[in-house]
Amino acid sequence: MLASLDSANASQAPVTHFAAEQRALSIEGFSLAYAGKPALRELTLSVPRHRVTAFIGPSGCGKSTLLRAINRLHDLNESVEHSGQIELEGQDIYAPKTNVTELRRRVGMVFQTPNPFPMSIYENVAFGLRLQHRLPKRQRDDIIEWALTSAALWDEVKDRLHRSAWQLSGGQQQRLVIARTLAVQPGVLLLDEPASALDPISTLKIEELIRNLKSQLTLILVTHNMQQAARVSDYTAFMHSGELVEYGTTDQVFTNPRLQRTENYITGRMT
Amino acid sequence: MPRRLTAAPQRLLDRLWPWLCAASVALSLLMLTALLSLLLVRGLGHFWPATLEEVTLRSGEVVAGEAIRETPLPQQAGDERLYFTGNRDVAGASWRWVPVDDIAQRTTPEDLVRLTRTPWGDFIGRLVSVESDGERLEGQPAWDYLTAALALPANQRPAGALLLATADGQTLRQPLTNISGATAPNAMAWWQKTHTWGERVWQFLSQGPRAANTRGGVWPAIFGTVLMVILMSVIVTPFGVLAAIYLNEIAHQNRLTRLVRIGVRNLAGVPSIVYGVFGLGVFVYGIGGSLDSWFFSDTLPSPTFGTGGLLWASLTLALLTLPVVIVATEEGLARIPDAQREGAVALGATRLEMLVRIVLPMAVPAMLTGVILAVARAAGEVAPLMLVGVAKLAPQMPVDGEFPYLHLERKFMHLGYHLFDTAFHGEDVQAAMPLVYATALLLVLIVLMLNLTAIFLRHYFRRQRGNEC
Amino acid sequence: MIPPRAPVSHQPLRQLKNRIATSLITAGGIGVLLAILAIGVFLIWETLPLLSLDETFALTKLSPLAWGTLKAALAAMLFALPIALGAAMYSALFMSARLRSRIKPALEMMEAIPGVVIGFIAGLVLAPWVERNLASTLMVLVWLPLSAGLAGVLWHLLSSRLRQALPLSWAGLWLVPWIAGMLLLALWFAPLLETLLPGGDLRQLLEQRWGLDYATRNALIVGIAMGFAVIPSIYALAEDALADVPDTLMEGAHALGASRWQALWKVALPAAGPGIFSAVMIGAGRAVGETMIVLMASGNTALLSASPFEGMRSMAAAIAIELPEASPGGLTYRYLILAALVLFVFTFLVNTLAEMVRLRMRRRYQKAGRH
Repeated sequence: MLASLDSANASQAPVTHFAAEQRALSIEGFSLAYAGKPALRELTLSVPRHRVTAFIGPSGCGKSTLLRAINRLHDLNESVEHSGQIELEGQDIYAPKTNVTELRRRVGMVFQTPNPFPMSIYENVAFGLRLQHRLPKRQRDDIIEWALTSAALWDEVKDRLHRSAWQLSGGQQQRLVIARTLAVQPGVLLLDEPASALDPISTLKIEELIRNLKSQLTLILVTHNMQQAARVSDYTAFMHSGELVEYGTTDQVFTNPRLQRTENYITGRMT
Repeated sequence: MPRRLTAAPQRLLDRLWPWLCAASVALSLLMLTALLSLLLVRGLGHFWPATLEEVTLRSGEVVAGEAIRETPLPQQAGDERLYFTGNRDVAGASWRWVPVDDIAQRTTPEDLVRLTRTPWGDFIGRLVSVESDGERLEGQPAWDYLTAALALPANQRPAGALLLATADGQTLRQPLTNISGATAPNAMAWWQKTHTWGERVWQFLSQGPRAANTRGGVWPAIFGTVLMVILMSVIVTPFGVLAAIYLNEIAHQNRLTRLVRIGVRNLAGVPSIVYGVFGLGVFVYGIGGSLDSWFFSDTLPSPTFGTGGLLWASLTLALLTLPVVIVATEEGLARIPDAQREGAVALGATRLEMLVRIVLPMAVPAMLTGVILAVARAAGEVAPLMLVGVAKLAPQMPVDGEFPYLHLERKFMHLGYHLFDTAFHGEDVQAAMPLVYATALLLVLIVLMLNLTAIFLRHYFRRQRGNEC
Repeated sequence: MIPPRAPVSHQPLRQLKNRIATSLITAGGIGVLLAILAIGVFLIWETLPLLSLDETFALTKLSPLAWGTLKAALAAMLFALPIALGAAMYSALFMSARLRSRIKPALEMMEAIPGVVIGFIAGLVLAPWVERNLASTLMVLVWLPLSAGLAGVLWHLLSSRLRQALPLSWAGLWLVPWIAGMLLLALWFAPLLETLLPGGDLRQLLEQRWGLDYATRNALIVGIAMGFAVIPSIYALAEDALADVPDTLMEGAHALGASRWQALWKVALPAAGPGIFSAVMIGAGRAVGETMIVLMASGNTALLSASPFEGMRSMAAAIAIELPEASPGGLTYRYLILAALVLFVFTFLVNTLAEMVRLRMRRRYQKAGRH
């Protein structure tokens, strides 16, 4: 059903809305300002479940800001104001009674530079679990093995689970961070330029991982690497100066952009 | 022409000033080394069994003692030498200046002995005989008997008496119970001297002061210093860390926070005596006075908490070192990358969980450094203690077997104050000088060790973090 | 692959814990900060009753103390400033990086030596020695800078191989024996020079010609001892400021043909000026508040004399001596607290000024580094 929708939309009007039952996330007129300076302006779009959606755009266009807004990471900073709505599975995440920590569990986030905690590989993956549940060791071990396997890291680290996570290579660290996030079983995974600090081989591994993960959850990828967006994503949104310029299937955005601005950016005539 | 005139002095200046600057570094190093070696030599040298000289003067008088130093004679040519002769009971004084030119003969006979006695201080002279149980021993057996008796614990020593002779032939009797140590340094081999030296250093560290601080050791002062510093760290660590966490992790980072931060930083530069005044006015007279009138009114007007004591001293020094701990901890917290905090929060951790599980463990080295620096500062600080609770000679230790075992209201002895008091208010400063040197050396060593630990820790953790990131 | 199921967690308790802990930390943190700031409040509160009294008493009581404090601090700064700033310039501009990484901790150690130890050495070792050897002491003070210059002149006369063996970048270390040797030379030479003076005794001459009394513990001793104590803090801050001057600035000046001397005056000092200023301020703050050194090395005579050979009593020392005996609430008590307040306000202001200057400078360089 999704496939038919994709092909139908490829040639028609811009894809900015999906049927309600397909939406993992929907954003309605969302604006955000840092200390009075607008960073996001009146964004409206929705993200389909179990797909990879890429946000591309020049640096400073607000794509990372949007990602952080979805995880409510701006809560740590007082000078941020926002308006509009973001709904996760139909719930307004900025509603007063929203439990922020539970929201953040449901929306995992992976950052640009790998940030494993200064503890063992095992403890890194167990970190989120220990916060949520008091599990018997057997069950916890199972979840950790599953998370590391899902992040395609298990085979590389199964013999040294209790070594420091800081001894891993950059690519392994990033996959560990993904595993750590998967362990708390989020519905949405936000990836903020997850491969920008990595070498080409590690980047390929991460990309492969992203493609494989979409059977389990919804992924939102922010990247400034156009090829990466083309390789891994199903849908692509092009942002500029805090505004959504064009949003459609990746195929359509890359091969047949509707707007001149999008085409200029994609072909490298504008950065 | 005029150009060259101005150029020449300028070129000379250009060549010379780097050397003046280099000499400043050299001079600083020289002063530091001189100070440390002076303390080392004088502080440790005192415990070495010094050679005893027997000096015959031109007048025929015989003097025995330890040569201390020489200075030029006032108003005339030549030097005079200071001897420590002991025997205050016989000669009336234990020091003797001898003009060097008056000396006819200088020998170091092996039978000269030096005895440590409880009244009258040291005796220097010869052992004639020992009388015990009606027996009378002379010569080597007498000496063997004496050393064997002194090796026993004080309460098991046999009753007996020594017959002693000074260098100029006067004799005196001494009960054996008055004697606490005996050496014949001229007859000792170097390894025996080393052994005695070790023993004396240990006595210095483990015994209480005797004979108006001129003899004995500094154990109560070490104990008081350490106890006070421990209490202080127990108080300052949680509060300092709490304030740092609040400033760095919870407070809104606005102008007020920045001002408070600068204020805290500057309090580290406020003279310690001002903290002492605060401690005296608020802790001792204010809080202590109120405590007395509420709980200890039966003993008034003699104060219990309303006078300087261990608790108030620790609190005052805690306040004094609070900025040190806050600044160090804050630096540590600020060095933790935000990515770590965000990583934890993004996994659904609350702020408390993020702090406890990620941020604080990473900041432990910084806190440790701060506490060690605070301890180093507190251990060397004397001025505020003079106002809030240090004592010349504390009659009771602040810890004993009596309930509640730790007596926070008692006065205590402190190495730094002990040093000050002995050096400036002692009865016989000349005699106390060696011990003052030793005390100063001990204090410097303690403080330097603490500082070195802090420097090392900071360096080590910084490098470790540098490698891992 | 299907994830293993995990049971639902207890959220409310975690939130509650978080909220309680956050408010506890906030309360504790603010409490601690207020407690520290309470020092100022207490001092002001205790001195308020003095306002109703007439001021002449305050002046007669406090002016010798204020004078003593200033005199001691001035003497210390006179001794410490040239050495500390010279050392800072040398280690920031000339010293080899390896030597620098060892010398800095060594001087940090110097800062850690307790005041009571320095005071003891100054009062009981240095003071009697200087009293006996006044001429030598003055000779050393004059001769040492000259001998450093002499070292520079001699170095330029050396063969180039020897010069390479004794580079300027390590001079801080290999000049130590030279300075020690020159010191001994001065000590040996001074008594000979003293006999050339009319009367052959410098102290008598001072007393007869200029009417200068000589006290064993005097401003000279305090200056040397307290100078020794403040050198490290001035050095550390001034060195940081000079080392923060971007190398490109100095290289630019050299490229334009400036000599090292000109580069220092025209480029390094103006750029590092605020940092050096704050270093001097912080050193002065320390010198004003240091208690034990003045207490032990100054003789504690409350005199209004400018002579470097007479003692003084500083505010800090007066507090340490008199406050334990003063009855709480009495006049003396309040005056001593007023002295403490003066010390507090003075050092606090000086430090704040220094800190702000330093922060502003740091911000400027951060900007300069970015562009």
